[in-house]
Amino acid sequence: MHIHNYEKIWLVLAMLLIVAFISTVAYGATAMGVDMISDDEETINPDALDEDQRFAEPRVEQVGENEYEAYVVALQFAFQPDPIEVPAGSTVTFYVTSRDVIHGFEVVGTNANVMVVPGEVSTFTVEFNEAGEYGVLCNEYCGDGHHVMEGSVVVVPEEEYDGGDQ
Amino acid sequence: MSDALESGAPSFLDQFPDEAKLVRATLWSAFIALILGGLFGIIQTLHRTDILRVMDSSYYYTVLTAHGVLMVVSFTIFFLVGVFTWAVVRSLDRPLVDIRYSWTWYGLMVVGTLMAVVAVLGGFVDSTEMSADVLFTFYAPLQAHPLFYGGLAIFLIGSWLAGVDWFRAWYAWKREHPDERIPLQTFMALTTMLMWYIASIGIAIAVVVFLLPWSLGLFDEVNALLTRTLFWFWGHPVVYFWLMPAYMLWYTVLPKLAGGRLFSDPLARVVFVLFLLLSTPVGIHHQYVDPGIAEGFKFIAMTNTMFLLLPSLLTAFTVVASMEYGARRRGGTGLFGWLRALPWARPAFTGMALAGLMFAAGGFSGMINAGMNINYLVHNTLWVPGHFHLTVGTAVALTFMAATYWLWPQLTNKPLFSRPIGLLQVVMWFVGMALMSNAMHVSGLFGVPRRTAEPEYQGFDFTPAFGTMNEFDMQIAIGGTLLFISLGLFIGNVVLTSFGTKQSSLGEDLPPALSGPSDSPVVLDNLKLWVGIALVLVVLAYSLPLASIISRGGLFGPGVGTYPMIVDTFSALIESVAHAGITETLAQFEVGVIVQ
Amino acid sequence: MSTETAKKEIDHEDFDPKGTLALILLYFVILAILWIFMYFIEFLGNDLTVIG
Repeated sequence: MHIHNYEKIWLVLAMLLIVAFISTVAYGATAMGVDMISDDEETINPDALDEDQRFAEPRVEQVGENEYEAYVVALQFAFQPDPIEVPAGSTVTFYVTSRDVIHGFEVVGTNANVMVVPGEVSTFTVEFNEAGEYGVLCNEYCGDGHHVMEGSVVVVPEEEYDGGDQ
Repeated sequence: MSDALESGAPSFLDQFPDEAKLVRATLWSAFIALILGGLFGIIQTLHRTDILRVMDSSYYYTVLTAHGVLMVVSFTIFFLVGVFTWAVVRSLDRPLVDIRYSWTWYGLMVVGTLMAVVAVLGGFVDSTEMSADVLFTFYAPLQAHPLFYGGLAIFLIGSWLAGVDWFRAWYAWKREHPDERIPLQTFMALTTMLMWYIASIGIAIAVVVFLLPWSLGLFDEVNALLTRTLFWFWGHPVVYFWLMPAYMLWYTVLPKLAGGRLFSDPLARVVFVLFLLLSTPVGIHHQYVDPGIAEGFKFIAMTNTMFLLLPSLLTAFTVVASMEYGARRRGGTGLFGWLRALPWARPAFTGMALAGLMFAAGGFSGMINAGMNINYLVHNTLWVPGHFHLTVGTAVALTFMAATYWLWPQLTNKPLFSRPIGLLQVVMWFVGMALMSNAMHVSGLFGVPRRTAEPEYQGFDFTPAFGTMNEFDMQIAIGGTLLFISLGLFIGNVVLTSFGTKQSSLGEDLPPALSGPSDSPVVLDNLKLWVGIALVLVVLAYSLPLASIISRGGLFGPGVGTYPMIVDTFSALIESVAHAGITETLAQFEVGVIVQ
Repeated sequence: MSTETAKKEIDHEDFDPKGTLALILLYFVILAILWIFMYFIEFLGNDLTVIG
């Protein structure tokens, strides 16, 4: 096989680039602790969410000191609860599922961006350090009202937090 | 390679009139799809950016489905079967075995397209319950009319049979030429088709086993994650299916246009073998942020995806080196000065070169898309269509249009109507796409979603790091408008060429490579070996994830329903028959648009 | 083609595509810089990191 020397140089550099890309992602996953959505949760019957103790009443629940869990339902064409209210300085684990079709759950302008598949529960944990407000939108086409599907995450100052119930 | 032909020699039409007619038919089908796809493209561009809204936003998704399906299924694949037919016949220098068989696969592809398009356009007609507002990805439990899935299946079968046609031609050639290397263009077409057969397993199972019977009402539930995963099993390799004919043109035609020769035939073969091996076991990188798939499987998919960069990076070198060789033969000098010696006045050359340049940019955003955890940043944002409008929308589409300027005269014996218009057209496409795609990438980074009629929300505003949302929308709208005009110029040029008068001696030869096939190991031509390895890689990448998805949710899903409920079991069949008259439905479509 | 007369024959071994090598090295550098920018500034510098 006949390969020009310059091509050999490029072949080596291209492999180097590929290995560097994979290493960067591995660095993010280990050293920086960026976790992927995975298969941790059992499947769930989307027709029977009303009987599920987490999703019958979509809500935010305190589970430890500064630790909260948010049970969120996506449906055509809204998120429940809306707003999702959490205190500043908290670590929140989201459990998001769908009542009907595939949706997206994107906290606008952030890295919290996951798919929501009926029958599955997407779970991920993030830290909210400061008070503020985030938009939430559905970024997977879900029907003819897709563009009106939005919600919000409201991070209130710790001392003003009343448990997230509206 | 048939190096007997000299420039000014008999054209493809002179030598293979039957095949030339078939290739013209496939290219016309591609161009019709391109016109319609472009029309839907400009409607949605202006709607989404709120420049001009001619319809209610709920119809936006019908437009988007039509744009996607027409562009990336009909336009690309019709062009592919045409250009591969040309390439196989030309490089084997023999006709197809049985042209009636060839017209059969073409007919199936046309029928399949019409069925799917009718089902999609049904979404505009309120008086019918027929619709297929499911976008190109048709994720269940969103459901389309059975005609849509049936059409896709028939189209797919047509494309498979086209591949069989080229294999038959190759077998016939092999009997006449024992012990010869497979000519390069045929090698490229055959390896691409082998990749296509492997990739199609996913979509065939998704459509035939699950979605079509489900849409006919034979069962009520599907596993949404399973059909989605099967879609992406096919959905990533299909992007290479679009790309491979463009690569073939870059490897075999572009060097000639530049006045040179292909730098290396062996590396071109290696590249196509790598695509055969690596295109399929990567689809899960579209599902990095999906629930129900373990992180380990996602990491494996990423590793495979990253290595799939290799053949493209190698291509960049070989293709540019072939151009440089041409430029230096034409008297070009200097480290970069040779670039000026390239034939920039030829639309076929300039179009392909600009397409390649765009692919270098699209390659970068593709590298980001390939990264696992960085996907949180870009997933389902406008960044993603920004990316694929550089790849399929420019690297592929612009190469196809540029190649048409070179190929069409050889298929019709009529010289191109206007080179200057051709040149303006390809440059306009480049500029339009640069504007549109740049704004889409940037908007995606501050969170603007893809696939939405109105990216304007009640509760929040997007906050770009620089510029305003309005400015980016304007860039998208101006870019989209330039693209639409460019498309009009292209079609006009082709149509006017067809009205021209016939000339003789429009044939063009393709020079052999600098480093020819004899420099490459014979094992590269052992297609059975590569298919075997490709299948093993697919099994390794997919068996465990699929088994896990099925064992978690069951084959027919954990109670996932149907949206919208458009059809009952048998009324669907009756309705398909009733609407088989395409003209009738098209007439209804026009009425529907006027009424709206 | 207009420059038909200027054509020189060069063989695969004698031909060193210096310009190509220069362009591709430039591309390599651009890719590396953009990757670092996208991963470490745009992504890791962005709000809300998924940590579990």
